[in-house]
Amino acid sequence: MTQERASEEKPYRRLETQSLLQQIAFRSGLEAMEASENGNLAWVTSGFPVEIPIAMDMGVVYPEQAGAIIGAQKIGPEVCGFAEDLGYSQDLCSYARSSIGSTEKPDEVPMGSLPTPQLLLACNNICGTVLRWYDAISEMTGAPVFLLDTPPLEKVQLPHHKEYVRAGVQRLIDFIIEKFDRKLEDGRVQEVAELSSKAIDLWGKSLEACKNRPSPLNCADRFLTMAPVVSSRGTEHCAEFYETLYEEVEGRVEEGIGAVRDEKIRLLWDNIPPWHTLKFFNILASRGVSFPADTYTHAWSGSISGVDTDSLIDGVVDIYSNVYLNKDLDAKVDKMCQLIKDYDLDGFVMFSVRSCKRYSLGQLVSKELVTERTGVPGVVIEGDMVDSRVYNAAQIETRVDALLEMLM
Amino acid sequence: MDMGVGIDVGSTTTKGVLLDSTGNVVAKSLMLTGASAVQAVEKTVHNISSSARIDLNGVPMISTGYGRARVELAEKSVTEITCHSVGVHHINPDIRLLIDVGGQDSKVIRIGPSGRPEDFELNDKCSAGTGRFLEVMARVLEVSIDDLGPLALQSKNPSSISSTCTVFAESEVIGHIGAGESAADIAAGVHVSMVSKISALSKRVGVKEPVCVTGGVALNPAFRHHLSNQLGVELWVPEEPQLTGALGAAVLALERNVGGK
Repeated sequence: MTQERASEEKPYRRLETQSLLQQIAFRSGLEAMEASENGNLAWVTSGFPVEIPIAMDMGVVYPEQAGAIIGAQKIGPEVCGFAEDLGYSQDLCSYARSSIGSTEKPDEVPMGSLPTPQLLLACNNICGTVLRWYDAISEMTGAPVFLLDTPPLEKVQLPHHKEYVRAGVQRLIDFIIEKFDRKLEDGRVQEVAELSSKAIDLWGKSLEACKNRPSPLNCADRFLTMAPVVSSRGTEHCAEFYETLYEEVEGRVEEGIGAVRDEKIRLLWDNIPPWHTLKFFNILASRGVSFPADTYTHAWSGSISGVDTDSLIDGVVDIYSNVYLNKDLDAKVDKMCQLIKDYDLDGFVMFSVRSCKRYSLGQLVSKELVTERTGVPGVVIEGDMVDSRVYNAAQIETRVDALLEMLM
Repeated sequence: MDMGVGIDVGSTTTKGVLLDSTGNVVAKSLMLTGASAVQAVEKTVHNISSSARIDLNGVPMISTGYGRARVELAEKSVTEITCHSVGVHHINPDIRLLIDVGGQDSKVIRIGPSGRPEDFELNDKCSAGTGRFLEVMARVLEVSIDDLGPLALQSKNPSSISSTCTVFAESEVIGHIGAGESAADIAAGVHVSMVSKISALSKRVGVKEPVCVTGGVALNPAFRHHLSNQLGVELWVPEEPQLTGALGAAVLALERNVGGK
C-alpha cells in the first residue's frame, strides 16, 4: 500500500484541472435543483442524446454519475442495501441499486438523493436494465419515462435501423414539446451541437495525447475528468473545462511529463472502474504502471455535426446508435486491438463488473481474441463499480501481479 | 555458498524450501498455516534452518502465496503463478500446462519454454473447484480427507451431483445419503463434480501437453483419475506436489535477478 507522501514525491502527478471539477459539480447541482423546482428536470442515462433536452432548455442530471460518487464515497454497499431491502437482487446493476436506494432513503445518504425528476430519459444503447430501473424510479417519483430504443448493431447500421432510431428521436422532441411546452429552434440546436462537438473534440485530443510516452493522463485522471463530457456536453462551461484540460495535457506532453512519474509498463483498461478503489491505479503507478487508454472513457468521443436540425438529428442517430456497448463483440475486440496498437500498450486488464452484464459479457472470449491478435497478454479481474462487497483486493492483486511478472 | 529460500504461505498450508547452489533441495518444511501466517512463517524458517543446520541470515529469500506480504525476511514477493511455473519447470522443463489445486484456490497456468507463465486462469470467489470442496464433502461422508480419494475409486457408478456450489452440493450429498446410496458412489460423484470445474478452467487456458498437477489435491488418486478422464490426457505429478510453489520461489531467490515486485 502506498503511504501518503508530499505530492512532489508521489509516484503519480495530480492534474491541476481536477480542482475545477468540484466547481462544475457544484454548479450542475445547483442548476439541477433549480430545474427541479421549475418543473423541468430530466434524469438521463449516460448514453442518451442529451443535446436534445439541453437544446430544449431542460435541466439534466445523471443517476449513473451519482452512483459513481456513492461508490467513491465508499457507501455503495449501504446505499445498494436500501434497494435490496425493497427486494431488488444483489445481481442487479449497482448504479440502479444505488439510485433506487438513495431515492428510497435520501436522508440516509450523505449527499441526499438527486433532485426530484419531472422526466426520465432512458436510452438502451448502454444496456437494457436502464428501462426497468427508470420504471422503478417512475413509480417512486411519478415522473414519466421516455425510452429511446436503439437496437444493438451488428457491423453496420442499416437504413431501416437508422429510420427506426430517427423516428424515436423525433418522438422524443414531440414528447418534450407537448409535455413541457417547449420549442426546438434551429439556432439553439446548432449552438448546442457546436458546443457539444467542441467539448468532445477537445476530450478526444486529450485522450489521443496519451499515445505519447510517458502518457500525460492515467486511468483515474480520465475517469474523473470525463464527468463533464458525460453530463454537460452542449454547455459552455463544459467546453471551457476541456479547453483547460487539453492545455494542461499539451503542456505535459511538451515537457515530457507523465501522469505516472516513472512509466515503465503501459496497459489497457477495459470496463467501468471500481469507483470505491480508484487507488488501485495509484498503487500500480508506484510500480511504474500506467494506463494510457481504456475502453470506457473512449466511449464518449463521437461528435455531432450538421447544418440544420434535420442533419443534426442524423448525426444524433449515427453517434448514439454506434456507441461501444451497443455494438457486437467483434467491434469491441477490434476497438481493444486498435487501442493496444495505437497507444503502444504492453498488456491489458479486463475488469469483469459483477453487476454490469452488458459490459462484462464476453470478456473471457475477447481476452483470448485480443491476445491472439495483438500478441500481448491480459488478465481478467472481478469486482464491481459501486458495490465493494464483491471486490476482493487480494485476489485482484495476485492476478495483476502475475500479469506484471509476465511483462517485467 | 550460494543458496536460496522460498516460502509459500498458502491459505491452508505454509511451505518452505532451501536450495543449494546447484539447485538441489537441502531442506523443506510443510505445516498448517493456522490462524497466524506470521507464526507459520517463523516456524517454517526455523524448521528449514534446523534441518539444514545452517543460519539463514543473509540467504536470499523470496515469498509467495496469499500470505506473501507477511514474510518480513523475504527480499521480495512473487505471485504463486510465477513461482509454481518456475518450480515445475525446475523439476520437469517439458511441462506446458500446470494445474494447481490448493486448499482455497485452483489455478491453471500455461508455461512457456523458458519456464515462465504465458497465460493463466484462477477460480474466483468460489470454493467449488478447490480442496475445500473435498474437505467439506469428506466431513459429510465421515471419512478422512486422505481416505476420500481411495473410497471414490471403489465406485463403479458415481452419484450425480448436479450442483457445483459447495454449500448446495453439501445438501445434495446429504440427500444421496438419505436415499441409501453408497459412500463410494457419492464420493466418486463429488470428485466428478469438482473436477468438472477444474477441467473447464483448464480448457479456457487451452490444454497443451504434457500436463502436470500440483497442490495438495494432486495427492488424491480419484481427483487425478477423473481429471485425466475429463481432459483426455495423461497427468504428470511431481513427487511432492505441495512444494512446487516454494520450490519456484527458492529457484528465483537463487537467481535473484528476476522480475517481480
